[in-house]
This record gives sequence, structure tokens and C-alpha cells, in this order.
Amino acid sequence: MQVYKLCLKIIKKNIPVMLIYIFIYLSVSIVVTLSSSRQNNTGNDFTDTKANIAFISGEETPLIEGLRKELGRQANFINLPDKKEAQQDALFFREVVYILRIPEGFTQKFMAGEEVHLEKNSVPDSAKAAYIDLAVDQYLNTARFFLSTMGDVTQESLVKYLDDVLSQEADVKLMPAPAKTDVYGLVFSYNYMAYSLSSILVLGMAAIMAAFNNRDLRNRVSCSPVRETAANLQIFLASLTFAGVAWLTQIAFCFFFDIENVLTMNTVYLLLNSLVFTVCGTAMGFLIGSVVKGNEAISAVTNVVVLGSCFICGVFVPAQLLGETTLRIASFTPTYWFVKANNQAAQLTQFDLSSVRLVLSDTAVIVCFALAFFALSLVIRKVRRFS
Amino acid sequence: MFVHIFANRLRCLLRDRETMFWTFMFPLALALFFYMSLSNVGKGEAFQEIDVAVVNDSWYQENQFFRTALEEASRGDDRLFNLTLATGEEARKLLDDGKIKGYIIAGDPPQLIVNESGIYQSIIKSFLDNYTQTFRAVEKVLENDPRIYQEVFDSLGNRKNYVKEAPAAGGKPDNLVYYFYTLIAMACMYGSFFGMREATDIQADITPLAARINIAPVHKLKAFLSSTCAALLIHLSEMMILLAFIRYVLNIDFGPRAGYVLLTTVIGSITGVFFGAFVSAVVKKSEGIKVGILIGVTMIGSCLAGMMYIDMKYIILSKNLPFLYWTNPVNLLSDAFYCLYYFDNLNRYALNIGALSCITVLFCALTYLFIRRRKYASL
Repeated sequence: MQVYKLCLKIIKKNIPVMLIYIFIYLSVSIVVTLSSSRQNNTGNDFTDTKANIAFISGEETPLIEGLRKELGRQANFINLPDKKEAQQDALFFREVVYILRIPEGFTQKFMAGEEVHLEKNSVPDSAKAAYIDLAVDQYLNTARFFLSTMGDVTQESLVKYLDDVLSQEADVKLMPAPAKTDVYGLVFSYNYMAYSLSSILVLGMAAIMAAFNNRDLRNRVSCSPVRETAANLQIFLASLTFAGVAWLTQIAFCFFFDIENVLTMNTVYLLLNSLVFTVCGTAMGFLIGSVVKGNEAISAVTNVVVLGSCFICGVFVPAQLLGETTLRIASFTPTYWFVKANNQAAQLTQFDLSSVRLVLSDTAVIVCFALAFFALSLVIRKVRRFS
Repeated sequence: MFVHIFANRLRCLLRDRETMFWTFMFPLALALFFYMSLSNVGKGEAFQEIDVAVVNDSWYQENQFFRTALEEASRGDDRLFNLTLATGEEARKLLDDGKIKGYIIAGDPPQLIVNESGIYQSIIKSFLDNYTQTFRAVEKVLENDPRIYQEVFDSLGNRKNYVKEAPAAGGKPDNLVYYFYTLIAMACMYGSFFGMREATDIQADITPLAARINIAPVHKLKAFLSSTCAALLIHLSEMMILLAFIRYVLNIDFGPRAGYVLLTTVIGSITGVFFGAFVSAVVKKSEGIKVGILIGVTMIGSCLAGMMYIDMKYIILSKNLPFLYWTNPVNLLSDAFYCLYYFDNLNRYALNIGALSCITVLFCALTYLFIRRRKYASL
């Protein structure tokens, strides 16, 4: 088993580099897990969405206080420093999505029926800005309505009327959703495997292949008493061991981050996908190792191929936010089908054949990619041997 | 002699395919990946007409005010809703299939059926709240004086928009551009690979090539400066191509001050090259360790500058870690680009460039101090 041992030695030498990917995986997963646990607190009742806004008023009057109180149902008020630059910063980095400025003298002019406006800075055309606009306009239009129809009304009684009227709400019923919609947070730890596991597999496999591509080493193995078939079998076994250990390590981390769903049927399909993807990643490493010469070049190709596919396939950015053209290009990579299969597997609520067929068909596409990579590398190696 | 060393070094560096890849091809590829994955993300924030259904029952048909209000809100280019009339069952199926955000059952008060809480569901609810509230306001006024019926309905038709967008002082608050700025900043710092090579190839105890250069009858500083100029020229050319690619191919806005953008890139490139030279002069270890330090520092700097997660810069770095804010060249560079794009004045930009220049001068001075007058008793 000399060849087998040599392969494992090569892998061991590359472990520090591979640990970088595990470290990245762990850091990102912790950040995503923490942020998604912060967001998933809706429960069984409908809750009004609240937009973060800055409310900057040049005056303090009952009417403006009433507006602030009314907006409190739709907004979280964020205190910003009284500096234009800090406010612009807050809008750019989305600490707030809306800055509402009430000019001095607004209430007096409004009560007198003059044409007046409030000023806003908002994320242009955003849904949250439209939401706040709707609330501000409703408050002031209702106030204007009372002023124009009820004759002489003091500010205090106007606010009282508004308080009474604006407390009316429509009835909202929250039905149970047929499918889980926050798929990205749900399967992130599995999807992100496409980055860390692929990188590890490609690096390891390519390192083994690059070593055996060395002409002297190849000749040395050829003239040794070990038969070529046996040597190839040992390489195959070593690859299998390496891929198996990498997969198990990765799966252990996935279980850790998704501990509450470990015993569900969805996880079985997620595991199946990841296993098939591991085979595909190994085949891809085999191909890259057969084509690319030199360790530096392997690292460059691995980075571009793996990083690129993760960017365009919905690993780093949720697939539903990617453009149609991007997704069409992405469908030429196995990562796209892996992410798609994971997303579908996570949404499964029934496990009959018709429900799981979609997941399995995506998994089958990954198998096809694996076979194609493997066949292509064999052809390349054959051609090289005879050239 | 300057021209001789410069020209040969230029050829030498251009043949170094690995460095050329990491400093040129990799940032270009990353920019393309950023563009492909992020160009659509902004649309998730933008308001899109809400698909909503209303149950077309007798209540809805008979209640003309409610029908008119809903139809008005579903008409024109700036409409709120894409309205579908449906039976109760059809509406439920549309909701289950994810084709609508919610459906409305007319009544007093109207009822909204949804299957999740979210901004679009909240907007539909706001609309229904507004209708209910307006209805209640009319009742209240008419209770007071039933004779002013006509006046009330005239007044209802006079709804206005009270909020106006204040004129923007600079660029739009489109934070996706910032990711490209951090990428350019990172690419500037990747110039450190060139700087590292230059400082390595001048220290005779590290490479045989440096030993050969050291015995040549050329002043060490002169040789170093000539080859560093070649490295700077290559890296600057790469950066200009990257800038042009991001600006003209990917169409990312840099604001109106192109001259300052170029100046920032030039300073960034110099910082990057001298950062590499500094690390190489200080760290007396193998090339692998030096590369590890360069990549590690650049990636941590990029991460803190918000390249992977924009809140990292704003919430963590700007508000809680001011020291790292002002000493992280990636942050200073990306913030300089951001200021040029977003603000109408150059105050903060000048501060960023001032801090960056200080860091660069520090790198230059320390590199000089470490490699000057170094003699070797035996190699």
C-alpha cells in the first residue's frame, strides 16, 4: 500500500491550507446562524413590519407628537447625530431607510391651511419608504380632513380625534404557510458546503494528481514491482478515504449548526445530496489535477472555479436574488444543481415519490456532472500518456 | 543604469504568471462575480406592485366605496396593487401557490388573509387600515353635523402627498457600489505581492538572485528604487484596467470626480507595493509565510472594511473600533472611493487620503531603515 500511504502523506501536507476553508466555513456559519435566529421571531400572529427611520423635528407641537406616536406603529425610531454626513452615512449603510424632517413652523402653517410639505431622504423606490409615506400621508390627510370639515378645531382636540380614528385597524389572519419560505437561512450550512468542501476536495485531489503527474515519479512507480492497476486502485482508495473523511467532517459541522433538524427526513435528502456532491467535487479535483500543472496554478484555478460558482449559484447570495441570466449561466455548474436540490429538500413536507422526484432529478444532474468530469479526466490522461 | 534595471525588472515581473494572476486576473474575476451575484440584489429592496386578490362576494360588489378605493390603488403606473378578483377558494389557492401576498375579504372591518408577516403584507394592511380609518373619520364628522355630507365627500377627494424627497447632495444611497470599492481597495493591497518580491530580491541572505544583485556595482537603493518603479508601473496599469472594467463594462458609478478616483487608486497602489516591501523587509522567514501574512492582513482588512458584510464597516469598525478604522488601509481606500461617490464635499475624503499617505510614508521609511546598509559577512 505504498501508493496509498504516499497519497495520504500528500493530503496531510495540505491540511493547513484546507483548515483555512474550514475556518471560513465556521466563521460564516456562525454569523449567518446568529443573524437568522435574530430574524425568526414572528410566531403565530401577524406582526406589522417596522422600518428603521430617523425622525428629525424642528418643533415640538401636539400635532407632531401625535405623528411621532402614530408612526411608532410602523417604525423604529433611530437617534442619529445632528450632522448631515452622519445621517447620509446611516441611510447608505441602512441603519435607517428613511429620514423624515419636519421644518420649523410646519404645524402653524398646516393648521392655517397653507400648502406645506415634510422633507424626507429615503432609499429611492424602496418598499419600506412607500410604507412610511403611506402612514405619514394618512395622518396628515386625516388631520386636514378634520380641519376642513369641522371648522374651528384646536390642535389638542384635533390630535384627540386623530388618536381615536387612527386606532382603527383591519383584521389580519395569518394562515400556516404551505412551505417554509426562509430557505436560505434553513439550508445555509449545507449550501455553504459547496464552497468549503469543494475547495478542500479540489485542493486535495489536485495535489495528489499533480504529484503523480510528475514524470520522474510516474516512471519510478512504473518500474516498481507494484502493478499499474494496483497503483491506480490505491490512488482510488486514497481518494475515497480523503473524500469520505472530508464529507464526514463537513457533515458534523452541518449537524452542529442545524441541530434541531438532524432527525428529520429532509436531512436524509440533504445528506444524499451532499454525498453525491462530494463525489462530484472529487471528480472535479481529479479533472483539475489532470489538466493543471503546478501547485500555484492549482490554487489559482481552485479559487476561480469554486469561488466563481459559489457567487453565481446562490451559495453566497440567495438564489432568488440572482438575475435570470446569471442563473442560466450557473446551471452549467454542479453547484447550481446542488443548491437547487438542497433548497427543494429543505422545503419538502411530504415524502412520497412525486414530491421527492424534483430533488432526486437535481441530484441525478450532479451525478451526470461527476461522470462527465471523471470521463474527461480519463481521456486527458490517456491522451497525455500517448503523446 | 536606472533604465537598464527598470526594463529588465519589467520583463521579469511580467513573466511571473502567478503574481500577475493574483494581482490582475483574480480581482477582475472577482469583480465579474460580484457583478453577477449582486446586480439584482438591489431590486429586492425596491418596491414592486403587490399581487393581491379580493374575494368577489356580494359585500364587495355592494360596497362601492371600498371597491373604488381598491380599484384606484390598482390603477396607473404608480399603483400599489395588481388586483385579482377571485372566489374564496381561488384566493386561498393563489395564496398557497405563492402567487399573491395576501387576499382581502371585504367587510367592516375588512379582513386580510396572509401566510407570513412581511413588508408587502404590512403595506396591504396599512392600506386597509387607512380605508377603515377614513371611514371612521367620515362617520365622526357626520355624527357632528350630518348636513355637510357633500363637503365631506369633496374633502375626501383632496388627498395629498405631504412628503417630498429632499434634493440629494451626492450620489444615491446604493450600497452595492461599496462592495466594488472594497474590491478595488483589496486589489490595491494585492500590489504587496510585487513589493514583497522587490524587497526579497534585494536582500542577499534570502535569495541567490539578491546575492547576485548585491555584488553588482550598483547602489542598493538605486537598484531597489528602479525595480520598485517597474513593479509600480505594472501594478498601476493593472489597477487602471480594473477601474476601467468596473466603471465602463460593469457600469458601476464612481461619482463625478474622476481625477480624484485616479489619484486615490495611485496612492492605494503605492501603499500596497510598499506594504509588501515592508513585510518582506521585516519578516525574515520563507516566502510562503510572507505571502500568508500579506494575504491574511489584506483579507482581514477587507473583511473589516465591509467586503463580505457591509455592517462590519459601519457598525463594528466605524462606531466601535476607531483605531482599526484609521489604520486599516483597505478601509481608508474604500471609504475614500465612497466619499467621492456619495458626498458633495471632500472633507472626509481628505482625511482618508491624509491617513493613507501617512501609512504609506511609514511603510516606505521602515522598509528603507530595514534594508539600508545591510552587509553580509558570509552568504
